[in-house]
Amino acid sequence: MASAVVQLDKITKRFAGHVAVDALSLQVPSGSIYGLLGPNGAGKSTSIRMLMHIHVPDEGTVRLFGEDGKTGRDQSARIGYLPEERGLYPKMRVIDVLVFLAEMKGVERRKARTLALQWLERLGLSDWRMRKVNELSKGMQQKVQVISTLLHDPDLLVLDEPFSGLDPVNAQVLKDTVLDLRKRGKTILLSTHIMEQAEQLCDGVCIIARGKKLVDGPLAEVKRTHGGHHVHVTFDGAPGDAERIFADPKLVKKQESTGQYAELELAAGADAQDILKGLVTSGARLAKFELAEPSLNKIFVDLVGPEAATAAARPEVARA
Amino acid sequence: MHKVFAIIRREFVERVRQRWFWIMALLGPVFFGAVFLLPTLLMTKSSLKHIAIVDSSRNGLGAAVAFQLDTTKIRAVLVAPGPRVADSLLQAVGAKTLDGFLLIGDALADSGKAEYRASNVSAFTTIGELQNSLQRVATQVRLTREGVDPAAIARARIQVDLATTKISGGRTTGESAAQSFSLAYFMGIILYMAILLYGINVMSSVLEEKTTRIVEVLVSSVKPFQLMLGKVIGVGAVSLFQFLIWGVAGRWVFRYRHALGADSPGADAGLFTMPHVTADTAIVFLCYFVGGFMLYSAMFAAVGAMSSNEQEARQAQQPVSMLLVVSFISMFGMLNDPGSTFSVTLSMIPFTSPIAMPVRWAAGNLPVSEVLISLAILAVSIVGVTWVAARIYRVGILMTGKRPNPKELLRWIRTA
Repeated sequence: MASAVVQLDKITKRFAGHVAVDALSLQVPSGSIYGLLGPNGAGKSTSIRMLMHIHVPDEGTVRLFGEDGKTGRDQSARIGYLPEERGLYPKMRVIDVLVFLAEMKGVERRKARTLALQWLERLGLSDWRMRKVNELSKGMQQKVQVISTLLHDPDLLVLDEPFSGLDPVNAQVLKDTVLDLRKRGKTILLSTHIMEQAEQLCDGVCIIARGKKLVDGPLAEVKRTHGGHHVHVTFDGAPGDAERIFADPKLVKKQESTGQYAELELAAGADAQDILKGLVTSGARLAKFELAEPSLNKIFVDLVGPEAATAAARPEVARA
Repeated sequence: MHKVFAIIRREFVERVRQRWFWIMALLGPVFFGAVFLLPTLLMTKSSLKHIAIVDSSRNGLGAAVAFQLDTTKIRAVLVAPGPRVADSLLQAVGAKTLDGFLLIGDALADSGKAEYRASNVSAFTTIGELQNSLQRVATQVRLTREGVDPAAIARARIQVDLATTKISGGRTTGESAAQSFSLAYFMGIILYMAILLYGINVMSSVLEEKTTRIVEVLVSSVKPFQLMLGKVIGVGAVSLFQFLIWGVAGRWVFRYRHALGADSPGADAGLFTMPHVTADTAIVFLCYFVGGFMLYSAMFAAVGAMSSNEQEARQAQQPVSMLLVVSFISMFGMLNDPGSTFSVTLSMIPFTSPIAMPVRWAAGNLPVSEVLISLAILAVSIVGVTWVAARIYRVGILMTGKRPNPKELLRWIRTA
């Protein structure tokens, strides 16, 4: 796929006796928001670090922007990286930190300064530019860190748990920023364990647990193939022959009905349209007939299993 | 390369901006001066001591001793011997109205025996002065007994002043032994302090990036080795800048020393005159400072990378600091005999040579070839140590959790 900005091909990373990431493959299409989802300790950060060439994969290859033989570090000027654990130099001035980090991405010093001032202005931090980082509130520091990720106008953004530690206001600012970046044709890869966020933002997802990929693809497709089919029916008075139709095991696998409202899970191979036809011909009056998709959260819990949703105990990564 | 330069600049600018840099720049010379002069000052600047002399001799030896003591910092009163005298004097010493008392009799001239009782018998300047005075009186009495005229003795007596001059490269240098000694001592102290101080600076800089996790962002754009290199060079540049400030300040103070009243009377001229620092000496000093700093800061960087907090780092750096302390302590032995096998060995071992060789250079006449061999060994070691340290650094900066044990450390070095 030529338009894939990120291509991971069976990357594996082992740390002293345990496999952090096991033959993970995925493709992030250009111009999309892609979610790397998984419970804590699933290997999300390790995968991202391999992508960034902070860790070198034991096996497999990382291909970015379709370029062979160039690591994330080689192409760092085109990548903005927000690590899971945030941190800036606490005793440096805000403006100096931003200029320095931009220089690390290959931006020329004077240009970095101009850009940094623009960004500080935009996020309402202008008055703080000469202050030391540790004089800023946590929220402001987060903003500065986000600026440092975006300053060099990267084509690919890699955000590791970008919403963790953000208050609702700043979370919204970041969400808007991410959506705006996609509008401008940037590609965003983000990791999260909060499914609601992923559902709102992502075009494509990859769910991993214990280092292994469980499912990936465009969000709609994942929902279609892995969620099962759900139908929500609301009656407007007469339910007709609903009771009989819902009880047909060829059509409905599971039902939850409260008389005027029913939630159905379709049997394998059943078509929702057959149910609708049956209901209408039997004289039922319908207020609403909805093909409901399951929430990403439900898919996630179904796939990962409740026991893995709590982090698999992993030995702290102290060895290579 | 542009990125390495940015790292160097950050390390330099951020440090020079800090208050402690300027405090060190201003107070450093004062502090070094104090370390250097205080012991001597404390020894020479003692107050007047008051003692009593209990004289039981038949020919008034006590008065002669008291007369001799008049030229020293000891004031003596004569006390006639009696049954209760010792007790009352003991009380006076106990009440601190008297520093001590001297018991002399005919034995002083006959067999050279006397006794001094005091609250403090380790004050060796006082003891030395007493001993000198007693010696003189006893000699005088015995010479008179042999029929020699005391006046003739006084005329015959002469103070010998031994002037010492260092020979360097077959030429006399106009530098006294005392000056060479103080120069060597001074260089040793500065090298030790600077390498330790700035080495630890590198360590805490590594640790800061590790604990704030900013290192992850950095190594996604630069190679860990570039990061370490930039850090070492940046901090090294700060230290050289510090030396420059001290050098300029030192020149200035030297030029205006009269106006500043630095040569006040009473200062021991031999020890305190500023030694002449030749260009050769300055070059040797700088070469070994830069070499020593590179060697040690690479090790300190590795220590910073393998620790995850200040406390751990403080423990882990001890073996490295120990190496420096060993070189510093052995400096005193080397000053005594710069040509001994011990001194030569230390000035060749790369971990001790950065202090040992400049000290030997300043203290005595050294063939340039010996310096070159030692520098070559140092250079090779820097490459080797940096190679190992960089591997530890590369793995260490991204690790959290417990500190690696030696076995794990070896694996880091092998697999990094």
